[in-house]
Amino acid sequence: MMFRLATWFFFLSCSYPALAASLTPEQIAQLPPPAEHKIDFSKEIKPIFEASCIKCHGRGKDKGGLRIDTRETLLKGGDSGPVITLGKSADSLLVALVQGFDPDSVMPKKGSRLTPEQIGLLRAWIDQGAEWDPHVTFARLPPANLKPRLPEIPPGTKDENPIDRFLQPYFASHSFQAPPQVNDRVFARRVYLDVTGMLPPPNELEAFVSNKKANKRELLVRDLLANDRGYAENWLSFWNDLLRNDYKGTGYIDGGRKQITGWLYSALLTNMPFNQFVSELINPVTNSEGFTKGIVWRGVVNASQTPQMQAAQNISQVFMGVNLKCASCHDSFVNDFTLADSYGLAGIYADSPLEMVRCDKPTGKKADLKFIYPELGNISPDADKSTRLKQLAEIITKRDDGRLTRTLVNRIWQRVMGRGLVEPVDEMEKAAWNQDLLDWLAEDFASHNYGVKFLLQRILTSRAYQLPAVNLGEQTDQNYVFHGPAVRRLSAEQFRDALTSLTGIGYPSPLADVVSVEPEQKRFALAAHIFWIWNSTNAAEKATPGHVYFRKTVKLSVVPEEAAVVMTADNTFTFYVNGKLVGSGNDFKNGYLFDLRPFLKTGENTFIVDAVNNLAGNIPPTSAEPPRGSESPAGLLFYARLRHFDHGVQKTNDFGSDTSWVCSSTVQMPLKDPDSIRAETGWTNAIKLGDPGMIPWRVTKSYFSTRLASAYPGKIRAALVAADPLMTALGRPNREQVVTTRSSVATTLQALEMTNGETLADILKRGADNLLNDPRMAKKSLVPTVYERALGRKPTEPELQLAKNIVGNPAKPAGVEDLLWAVTMLPEFQLIY
Amino acid sequence: MTRRDFLKSSSVATLSALAAGFPRQLLADSEEKITPTADTVIILWMAGGMAHTETFDPKRYTAFEPGLKPDQVLSTFPQIDTVVDNIKLTQGLENIARVMDRATLIRSYTAGDLGFILHSRHQYQWHTGYAPPQTVAAPHIGSVIARTLGPRNPAVPAFIDIGQRFDLGEGEELKAFHTAGFLGSEHGPFIISNPEEAAKSVRPPEGMSPSRFESRDAFYRKLISQSPIGQLGSDYQKESLLRSLDNAHRLLSSPAAKAFDLALEPKASYDKYNTGRFGLGCLLARRLTEAGARFIEVTSEYIPFQYWDTHENGHTRTVDLKKSIDAPIAQLVLDLEKRGLLNRTLIVLASEFSRDMLVEGKPDNKVKDQVVVPDVINELAVEIRVRHAGKNESRSLRLHGVASPAVAAP
Repeated sequence: MMFRLATWFFFLSCSYPALAASLTPEQIAQLPPPAEHKIDFSKEIKPIFEASCIKCHGRGKDKGGLRIDTRETLLKGGDSGPVITLGKSADSLLVALVQGFDPDSVMPKKGSRLTPEQIGLLRAWIDQGAEWDPHVTFARLPPANLKPRLPEIPPGTKDENPIDRFLQPYFASHSFQAPPQVNDRVFARRVYLDVTGMLPPPNELEAFVSNKKANKRELLVRDLLANDRGYAENWLSFWNDLLRNDYKGTGYIDGGRKQITGWLYSALLTNMPFNQFVSELINPVTNSEGFTKGIVWRGVVNASQTPQMQAAQNISQVFMGVNLKCASCHDSFVNDFTLADSYGLAGIYADSPLEMVRCDKPTGKKADLKFIYPELGNISPDADKSTRLKQLAEIITKRDDGRLTRTLVNRIWQRVMGRGLVEPVDEMEKAAWNQDLLDWLAEDFASHNYGVKFLLQRILTSRAYQLPAVNLGEQTDQNYVFHGPAVRRLSAEQFRDALTSLTGIGYPSPLADVVSVEPEQKRFALAAHIFWIWNSTNAAEKATPGHVYFRKTVKLSVVPEEAAVVMTADNTFTFYVNGKLVGSGNDFKNGYLFDLRPFLKTGENTFIVDAVNNLAGNIPPTSAEPPRGSESPAGLLFYARLRHFDHGVQKTNDFGSDTSWVCSSTVQMPLKDPDSIRAETGWTNAIKLGDPGMIPWRVTKSYFSTRLASAYPGKIRAALVAADPLMTALGRPNREQVVTTRSSVATTLQALEMTNGETLADILKRGADNLLNDPRMAKKSLVPTVYERALGRKPTEPELQLAKNIVGNPAKPAGVEDLLWAVTMLPEFQLIY
Repeated sequence: MTRRDFLKSSSVATLSALAAGFPRQLLADSEEKITPTADTVIILWMAGGMAHTETFDPKRYTAFEPGLKPDQVLSTFPQIDTVVDNIKLTQGLENIARVMDRATLIRSYTAGDLGFILHSRHQYQWHTGYAPPQTVAAPHIGSVIARTLGPRNPAVPAFIDIGQRFDLGEGEELKAFHTAGFLGSEHGPFIISNPEEAAKSVRPPEGMSPSRFESRDAFYRKLISQSPIGQLGSDYQKESLLRSLDNAHRLLSSPAAKAFDLALEPKASYDKYNTGRFGLGCLLARRLTEAGARFIEVTSEYIPFQYWDTHENGHTRTVDLKKSIDAPIAQLVLDLEKRGLLNRTLIVLASEFSRDMLVEGKPDNKVKDQVVVPDVINELAVEIRVRHAGKNESRSLRLHGVASPAVAAP
């Protein structure tokens, strides 16, 4: 019996026919008597409404059809009719309900019952004519942080960063004396990581430290922001999280999901103005539609998770900084959004009007199409979908939308300072700890062409950013006082890229499909001829199924700094350099990109491709004789970009697939020892089939350039590959939902992965090998080099001794591995001070 | 007493308490605290939709004979007795039948109706309680337990998941629920895809001797104490980093780590479990329970159309599948009992939904490209076009792979 009591708290709106009629004399006698004084509405009735009624009947909510926003709406009543009879409190439904004669329907449904004194006050108020102070309203409050606002910058010098001018009175009022700024090394590490996500290379760091210019920090920020590729590949992770974009994941299995990677990468590379960026996501072009397309799940999906509802939730969270998720099933309990709000926005993306479903039950109603902040603009109800999307994009990106700007400013501030001006960052209806600063920065951002790099320049050149880092904890404490940036931690991708900077061990091939832009294509234009090749003349039409081995030998006087290959084959290939496996591919439409740096050496380098032409039905050939009529097109297309600098001049050793390659199909299959096939006989010159664009493959040279351009000269960044166990352990999220903040607190599972996980162990092993065999490094300087690359400083004398002990003399690979491990586990390495 | 009577007779104070939404307050006075009767949970996950009629819930057995009507085929295995009166299992589960008195069958579980029949979605729902998609990352029940109760032995991860590989099949969809979600990644699963290699996950990296592992750790600690950053004071980031590395080091050097090493199991016992990866997973689960694990899941592994996900040769495959689970599960129960642990261990065997040997999709509901079952079965092996096969491909569907009295085995 007791458990059933819980059910009446969740009764939905219903009418109370039993009590619509008048009370019996006995019941009236039970009522508390009306208070005997003149009621003061604001002092005595307003507090009762605020405490007990408006949660369901105010602030945009209207349970039972009743709104008590104003006297008029209260008098109008709700689904059960009028709730007040002026002058006759004993006849008023409101009084009967708060008295609770029918235990199945007592008001309020939640919270404490009204006391007899309160009921007495209400009775008196009703009897006295229910006077209402004119300025009082319980209607939905105007949203905070919505209208743009440009406060005056507090006094200061013209050269001073306005951020610091806003913080000066703030610090004064909080009795905070700002300590001196961090030194050059700390600053450089911080700002390199925040802009490009990579550790400062030692030579650049030393140049910066010894630079005597007074404005060198400002110049450094400017130069880092000018590194378009570095910036794009750092911030790609931030936006992938926010826009729920990933290269693998749930939903791709049956085409229920679409990447926006190419569009996003290009937008970051070219510093697309943020209003245009948002507009192209809201009202998408083909390559940006993946965001609002959502994840189309197989099977029957809850009404709150249809693609249109996902779009509404994600747009609201990412760009408006508010949570529409709760309001997707019912009126929200945690904020003022209603079911009609979420359906009103979702409906804009629907092809036919959406029926509102409340808690899995269809309501039979459709919501009016509108944005969640209709004060910004209207959606024409009769417009077609493409017009509606255009209108929505205009509404959200209009100059009057001060929420879009504040939300973005807040997210960027949180990234580089460790805590937002508003926290949590997805509750943008809360006040900022310095409202003037937030409002001003938002306007500053908008009036400078919504430039994200401009915003970063503003923040990163402020004195505030250069304050010593502060211990914060994970609090979103309302008593927070800003004393400087928080101590932060390298993200999963930054940690991985730092390992690349330290050891030279990056990734061989990007998974992200990044489309490069014009200037990049020019830089990466092919400098040598390439042709489709095979071992028979009409292979482009009919080639026998089987393996064909291709070989090319190249002499290199130095190991090139840039060394990448793009290649493809019909049907599949496996690629070896100097006897080591580089990679393979099985889709001739895809240009496979490989980083060659780990494989090349000075002197003779042998490139071998095992190219395979499949049998009909795309089945790999066997050792048996292929049946008649099983011929199909076959070809290999290959380009190697090998560049190094000789006294500042770039030298090229590029080559492509052409007739200088030799081929053989008489080699034993499968390829057991790639090195051995040099000795095999039966090698003939490869036969040129035609240009890359030939039928049936039609590959363009610019496509190959684009693929090359997507590699950071041979070093592919962690943001461009799929998550591996190490990155997953370090917090790279499964982007099935929008992620706006990653947790940075270390966990035991993370530590296990770093202590004995294969991924890191392999990187350290190859890294140690790299360092020991680097001809440019003297053996003595290995430990200092590790410290300089990893921590931006020389080791102290005690550190040097400890390190030398572990490394050994002569240096052992295991010792170097252990040195690398220990240094990369240091808080000094993993944290951003 | 009706609800209204109760309310009328209760005091205003009680009513206020009720109205305040705290029904439990009423219980608080008279409440018996629920005493837990188990410390460890082991889920034995029969991934892929195990046919209950062919395993734990036999229906009428119909032997094959030419002219058999498909609607007469309910179970293709005969029933066997168990040690509990009136509970029958199918032929092939004799070992489990002998320990049925330590178990109970729940035949009333119904999988949610998620529209199409989709393994990964149903598995998600079973393991999290929610049908995907969700607006947040829903936590796996292992994570809920890990967070609520914490580890039993701090040196053994609270949530261990054994037997699934994530880099093939529907790996991405499986990853979606193998997570602690919004509870925080501290409570995520410790994944051991292959129980035979479990020891590797709690040993120093490949090729590193224990002594090198220790000297690396000692070197690290010395560096920490020398580090100039120490002078900047402490912060929660640094503390949590050092503490987590400490925990990891402790786990890898703890005696509990030996539990992960199946090579340490006496051969006679090892052989009893060694029916394959699942059987060895059960052995690992037993060793981990002894070492103080909290939540372990051993899966037979979900790979589309493999293992329990039978779309063809159902009967023959089920014979082998039952061989792979029967002895190890029974042995697990007996071993835990012998070690006095069974009474404090909850073992749950389940699958995301069921199937039978002939019907595809939901009964009375046609599925797209449904297998066409002939009206009359005249041959032991029946050529049936199987759903998911490529165009113009057909595969043979063997209905009865074992000898029946009427017909010799093919």
